[in-house]
Amino acid sequence: MNQQPYNNAAFRTGAGEAEETLRLIAGLAAPEGLEDRVQASLTRAPRTARVMPWPLDRHWMHGTLARGAAAAAIVCFVAGGGWEVYSRVQPTQAPKVIAMPRVATPGGFASANAMRTPKTVNGPTLTHPIGAKIPVHTLGKKPAGKKAAGSPAAGGNSEATKPVAQ
Amino acid sequence: MEIAPGAVQDETRQHVEEEALAALVSQYASTLYRVAFSVLRNPSDAEDAVQETFLRVLRHRNGLGEIRDHRVWLIRIVWNIVLDRKRRAKTRPETDDVDELARVLPAHGLTAEQRAAAAQHHAHVLRCVDELPVKEREVLVLSAFEELTSVEIASVLGITESSVRSRLFRARNLMAELLEHSRSLR
Repeated sequence: MNQQPYNNAAFRTGAGEAEETLRLIAGLAAPEGLEDRVQASLTRAPRTARVMPWPLDRHWMHGTLARGAAAAAIVCFVAGGGWEVYSRVQPTQAPKVIAMPRVATPGGFASANAMRTPKTVNGPTLTHPIGAKIPVHTLGKKPAGKKAAGSPAAGGNSEATKPVAQ
Repeated sequence: MEIAPGAVQDETRQHVEEEALAALVSQYASTLYRVAFSVLRNPSDAEDAVQETFLRVLRHRNGLGEIRDHRVWLIRIVWNIVLDRKRRAKTRPETDDVDELARVLPAHGLTAEQRAAAAQHHAHVLRCVDELPVKEREVLVLSAFEELTSVEIASVLGITESSVRSRLFRARNLMAELLEHSRSLR
């Protein structure tokens, strides 16, 4: 059978130490003059709220009636002021068409750098047959087809300069 | 000049209430202070808590006659106040606890070194107490007050007496484990 934790010495020591410390603190004396200070703070403390006496009560009106009228006047004044402010401020017309913001999302649908070519302009032409290697030194130069079409003396390859049917 | 009988009754009633309140202060202020100090561990905070307790009583002084046990009722009020304050207060550095304990704990025939060592020991134990779960800690702290029975502790905490006993048992077990663990780390 397992030994219960409260039977061993460690338990007795640990719990005993804690209770001894707590008892020591619980037994500390209160500071001198605590009661007097508390009494003084109670004397200074405000008593329950009281209704202020109505100054015109005795002269010309019943107190309750006068208070009610005053309260109603205050309510009317506050409500009137609020309405005046509300009626002056015109709310701006909400737009009928809601323009959705264009969000440029990386990785979304995009034009993939495609360029639109107007229909009035001839399409691009191939200067070399498909699959043929383009010599490095010709890169960046004007296509030979245009030159050949412009001057017959150039004597270029007629097959290469022939415009490709689209 | 005529004095209305209602005004006389009001004054008499107020006078009686003030006397009852003063009697409560002189009788229980010290107990409430000790309860507050055991949680807050700061003399000025504890005194503030006692003052706040009696100010609350002042606000509800009309119902003083309906209270059966004023002592438990007052302890319950101060307990709620100190727990609320403790919750809101920032964590103080541990050195504050040690210094405060060294100052307030009794030192009968102890040298300065022994006193400092005792304060450190108590501060260490209190740190372990602070590590206990809230429910167990509350019962353990209140059980240190010899004038409180387990029924009264149950009444202060708003639980049953059997819960008090089981929580106290768990608290003692946990304290033993915590202190043993801290010793093994040293």
